Amino acid sequence: MRPVFFFLAVGLLFLLSGCYDRIELEEQSYVIGIGIDKADNDEKGLFKITFQIANPEVGSSISSGGSDEDPQQTITVEGSDFITATNTANSIVTKEIVLDHTKVLVISEELARSGDFLRVVQSASRTTQLRRGVQIVVSREDASDFLNNNKPTLETRPHKYYQFMLNRATETGIIPDADVHRFFQITEGDADLFLAIYATTEKIEEKSQGYEDQYIAGQIPQIGSNATQFMGSAVFKEGKMIDVLTGQETRLCLIFDNTIDMDDLLATYPDPIKKGYRIAASFIKKEKTKVDIDYKKNQPSKITVTVPFSLEILAIPSLVDYAENSENQKILRKTITDDINKRAEQLVKKAQQEYRSDPFYWSIYVRKYFRTIKEYEKADWNHDIFPNADVKLDFQLTQIEFGKMLNDSDLDAVRD
Amino acid sequence: MQGKERLTAKELFAITVLMIAVKIGDTTPSLLAQHGKNAFWLMAPIAFFTILPSYLLLMHLLKKYKDKNLVELIEHILGKRAGKLVGLALFLITFFSMTIDTRNYVEEIKLLYFPEATTSLVFIIFMGVCFFGAKKGFETIGSTAWVLFPYIKITFILLVILILEEVVWQRVFPIWGTGLGQIVMEGMKKSSIFSQLIILTMAYTSLRKTSMFHKGALFGALIVIVEITFFFLLYCTMFDYNSIEKVAFPFHEITQYVNIGSFFTNIETFFMIFWLLAAFIRFILYLYFTAWIFGAVFNIKEFEPLLLPFGYFVVILGLMPKNAIQNELLFRENYLDMITPFFLILPFLLWTTAKLRGEFKK
Amino acid sequence: MFGLFKRGNSSKEESKRPLYKDLKKNTEEVKKLFSHGVNSDFVYRKVTSNTNKEVSIFFYASIVNSQKIYDGIIKPLFESEKENLRSVIILEDLAESYDFDQVESDINSGKAVIFEENSDRAYAVDVAEFQHRAVEKPENESVVKGPQEAFTESVSVNLSLIRKKIHDKQLIAETVEIGERAKQAVTVMYVSDLVNQDTLKNVRERLNSISVDNVRNIEILEQHIEERPYSIIPTLLYTERSDRAASFLEEGFIVLMMNNSSACLILPVTFWSFFHTPEDRYLRFLFGNFSRIIRFLALIITLFISAVYVAITNYHSEMIPPDLLLAITSARERVPFPGVFEVLLMEISFELIREAGLRIPNPLGPTIGIVGALILGQAAVEANIVSPIIVIIVALSGLSSFAMANISLNYTIRITRFIFIMAASFFGMFSLMGAFLLWLMYLASLKSFGTPFLAPLSPRYPSARDTIFRKTAIKEMLRPGFVKPQDMKKK
Repeated sequence: MRPVFFFLAVGLLFLLSGCYDRIELEEQSYVIGIGIDKADNDEKGLFKITFQIANPEVGSSISSGGSDEDPQQTITVEGSDFITATNTANSIVTKEIVLDHTKVLVISEELARSGDFLRVVQSASRTTQLRRGVQIVVSREDASDFLNNNKPTLETRPHKYYQFMLNRATETGIIPDADVHRFFQITEGDADLFLAIYATTEKIEEKSQGYEDQYIAGQIPQIGSNATQFMGSAVFKEGKMIDVLTGQETRLCLIFDNTIDMDDLLATYPDPIKKGYRIAASFIKKEKTKVDIDYKKNQPSKITVTVPFSLEILAIPSLVDYAENSENQKILRKTITDDINKRAEQLVKKAQQEYRSDPFYWSIYVRKYFRTIKEYEKADWNHDIFPNADVKLDFQLTQIEFGKMLNDSDLDAVRD
Repeated sequence: MQGKERLTAKELFAITVLMIAVKIGDTTPSLLAQHGKNAFWLMAPIAFFTILPSYLLLMHLLKKYKDKNLVELIEHILGKRAGKLVGLALFLITFFSMTIDTRNYVEEIKLLYFPEATTSLVFIIFMGVCFFGAKKGFETIGSTAWVLFPYIKITFILLVILILEEVVWQRVFPIWGTGLGQIVMEGMKKSSIFSQLIILTMAYTSLRKTSMFHKGALFGALIVIVEITFFFLLYCTMFDYNSIEKVAFPFHEITQYVNIGSFFTNIETFFMIFWLLAAFIRFILYLYFTAWIFGAVFNIKEFEPLLLPFGYFVVILGLMPKNAIQNELLFRENYLDMITPFFLILPFLLWTTAKLRGEFKK
Repeated sequence: MFGLFKRGNSSKEESKRPLYKDLKKNTEEVKKLFSHGVNSDFVYRKVTSNTNKEVSIFFYASIVNSQKIYDGIIKPLFESEKENLRSVIILEDLAESYDFDQVESDINSGKAVIFEENSDRAYAVDVAEFQHRAVEKPENESVVKGPQEAFTESVSVNLSLIRKKIHDKQLIAETVEIGERAKQAVTVMYVSDLVNQDTLKNVRERLNSISVDNVRNIEILEQHIEERPYSIIPTLLYTERSDRAASFLEEGFIVLMMNNSSACLILPVTFWSFFHTPEDRYLRFLFGNFSRIIRFLALIITLFISAVYVAITNYHSEMIPPDLLLAITSARERVPFPGVFEVLLMEISFELIREAGLRIPNPLGPTIGIVGALILGQAAVEANIVSPIIVIIVALSGLSSFAMANISLNYTIRITRFIFIMAASFFGMFSLMGAFLLWLMYLASLKSFGTPFLAPLSPRYPSARDTIFRKTAIKEMLRPGFVKPQDMKKK
């Protein structure tokens, strides 16, 4: 038999069969964001599921009609999980709902704190539709409100908005990289804390005393533009949300955690010489954080964390000469290191005492002391090792750069 | 057999690697992970080194007898009747391995890419392609394997490069996972995952020179074990010890997770293409070798007409288990444990018999 | 061996009609055979020579050089003192024939046949001058860098083009006659101390086993000697470039030529001989390989792009990046047809333009391009018949198919493309890969005159490994092992 006949047969089959999974592109609706809330009547196992669906006709140059349509359609239905909810949603949406392009999974803080979240995500990971790369966002308000209120002005197409927003915010470290894959690894690993992105579209009381990263979402003073803010992180312990970390604390967590990358950390530090001023600097971490755990059975273990970093000074509003004066420089070095150290120590203490676990994914460094999983689980990172450990933090400022200007101009001289 | 002068060590190398290393892309890792958790990558070398002595002994025997393939060797050493019996057993084992494995792959394709299609249709198309491919004969299969080999491996390497940044190496600890004893025990039991090495010796006399077989097969086996161990290690470090046993198809989970920049985010279909080509070649070989062994045992020179009925039976039998989980966890696992002793003992049996009969003195 | 070829003619040989001793009878007979008087260009000339001998000369005026007849035959006859015709006629080729069949074929092949008194033998003088084009530039296989001499419809010219390139006494141009009724000569060229004797024997046998009345040219000869007439893969290489033929000859290949064809056939072939162009060799190592990469890319694109588009949009929509996905979706929302149909529609339209463009008279040529482009590109999109992305896909796939210069391979690829589109629409990537694998295996299983089609990639042979890439000229020291030449080393 020649392959020609086989191909003919294939061709015939193609003409005759309906072809099971064949579906045209325009017969599908692409979900970009999914929101999950508790159902109104508080029934167990029932959730309010919100789908944010992209409108393909907005923003593409080839289409003539539809430009006055909304760039997205947001609908909310009730259901026990979001795969079956896609079917329920079809009573409203005209096309088959596809989750393959989902960028974010938004859960309300209320649901996250109730601990039911794990159930919903677990059931979704059975199918191929929900990808492991989807980012988990915890919204202060209801997820449906979040998705409805979020009206980006520049990136009108929702997938672009999420892609750019999350990418950039993760790079700056104010929110963590929190995909579903990581959520499962940490939650199922039964040690450490998972950090999800924290966001809101509602303003809460503005924090007047904050510096650039000492906020959580909703607190940042802002005038104009879309009210959505991504800032800080929600702390999950064993699948249940327990607290919110500010942007600064999130950044520290990311500095401590080698499994997450972070690029670009601009922050200000108190000026040691002229009190009241602050110095702007870019925090550069080129080498990996060294986490050294000295595990001792039945005794507090010793955790030594060394963070080598370098600084690039961006602005010195006080105009104190740090660049050329080595004495001043020494003071500056010490203040900055102490400042970071102090903040970090606070965070670690908080983790040890309040959370009784760590958001830094440090449990992986203790594993080498155990030969089997049984021994490891018995030693119990969450309850025994970490909360009782003796943590020593060591920020090492290896290098300090002063940009391309040698010195600032003397303001007094200018004013003369 | 046509054109013995065609195939060289290169083609056999490609065949060996494609036939066995595709196991990184099926349910084998999750089968092992059920027992070894985060240390299951160690089970691959354990399994390999368990079967290695038997394999080397068999190669040694084949070298002694020079122009005999596996079944001919068995019949020559054990005599007509006993030889036929062992040959038949070998055939049955290969045939059922193929049946169970095919169902496995078909379910994988169906679950991940064609959730609404029926298993039987996917199965029929899969076996159809394998049948037409196998009909082309061993040398064509070998050539095709070699032509596609670099492309398949390049994509696998690309996958490794993409996945490396997501990997957390510390996850290999605790090093012995569920316990050293259990890992070694289960690893040895599963050494039949390398049993194709022994089945491949059917092709011993089909290359230009038999020395090429040694070169191709041994080098192939080396790459296979390195590749399998490395990929299993990646799985272990990609997933934490509690998650790894829940993942049925780690290869596809990984391909779903990786992305190239932020533009190409869902690229699993790209890897699926090459995985699929490798899987096709693997089962084409499987089908061909099954028919070959059968033909050799029953002295059927022209065994190519057997391919169609065998393909048909594979479909019928393969559809029998009610679902993929049953097929995987029940049949495959037990089956792998069951056939391991056969492959471990066979070469020693042959060698001892030959020794007792004083064959080596001649 | 000679007897073996003549198998088909053996019955005629038995009934050979010898010439008469009488000039008059002979003359009458020949006149009758060639319908003298009705056949306007058949010439009979009676000459009485200087020595008072009567001589009859026959020839076709349309296929001989009349100056040569005057200078070489008639003038000497009038002037020469010698008796013997052999000494009178001073032209280079003078053959004797003793029967009418021979005379017939001599006259047909452009010779002047001379009868003399009281003799049962005739003299055939080669004065042929068939009309043919001059040597021109290759039309279909043009190169920027490299010789520009194409074959023309005359074997003697073509032979001279090749001999000019290979100065080798071992270069043999053997003639085999084929055809039962109107015989034509096929010239088999090879370098006798390189060529594989088995292949050569095989070719001779195949040529002699052709039993049809007439094989006019090599285009038809190709279909008579190929192994698999139904296959979508060609197994003989057709080229109009004399330099290409010469380079193949030097590697141990065999070249077939005929009058009436401005090209030759090269055998055995591999996939690579279709894939390569002569320019790859004339360009420097890096440039040549660059052009090979581009061509390989074109091959992949033209084979797969439409099929992959169909597979992905119908079955694997998750693979398309969101921006592109939304763009395609919004474009497709107003298109009335399913995706496969859309692709097929445009692919077929493209084939129509191509076919029409070939057949259209030259002056109209540019028009069809404009009309075609307008209809396909602009109007179809504006009328919402197809989405713009399809136009890009099909244009790309069509354009890339032109990079496969060889006409036979070009057809192979165009047909394969449709098979792949069908396969893709059936079960997405799954069936597409199945079809591709079987196609590839078919390719690997093919043989052209005993040479595996994908050699030397697989199965491996010692060779210069000139496959997708080539080595530098200095490093290419081996002839291709798969044609099994008698001498492997080039140096």
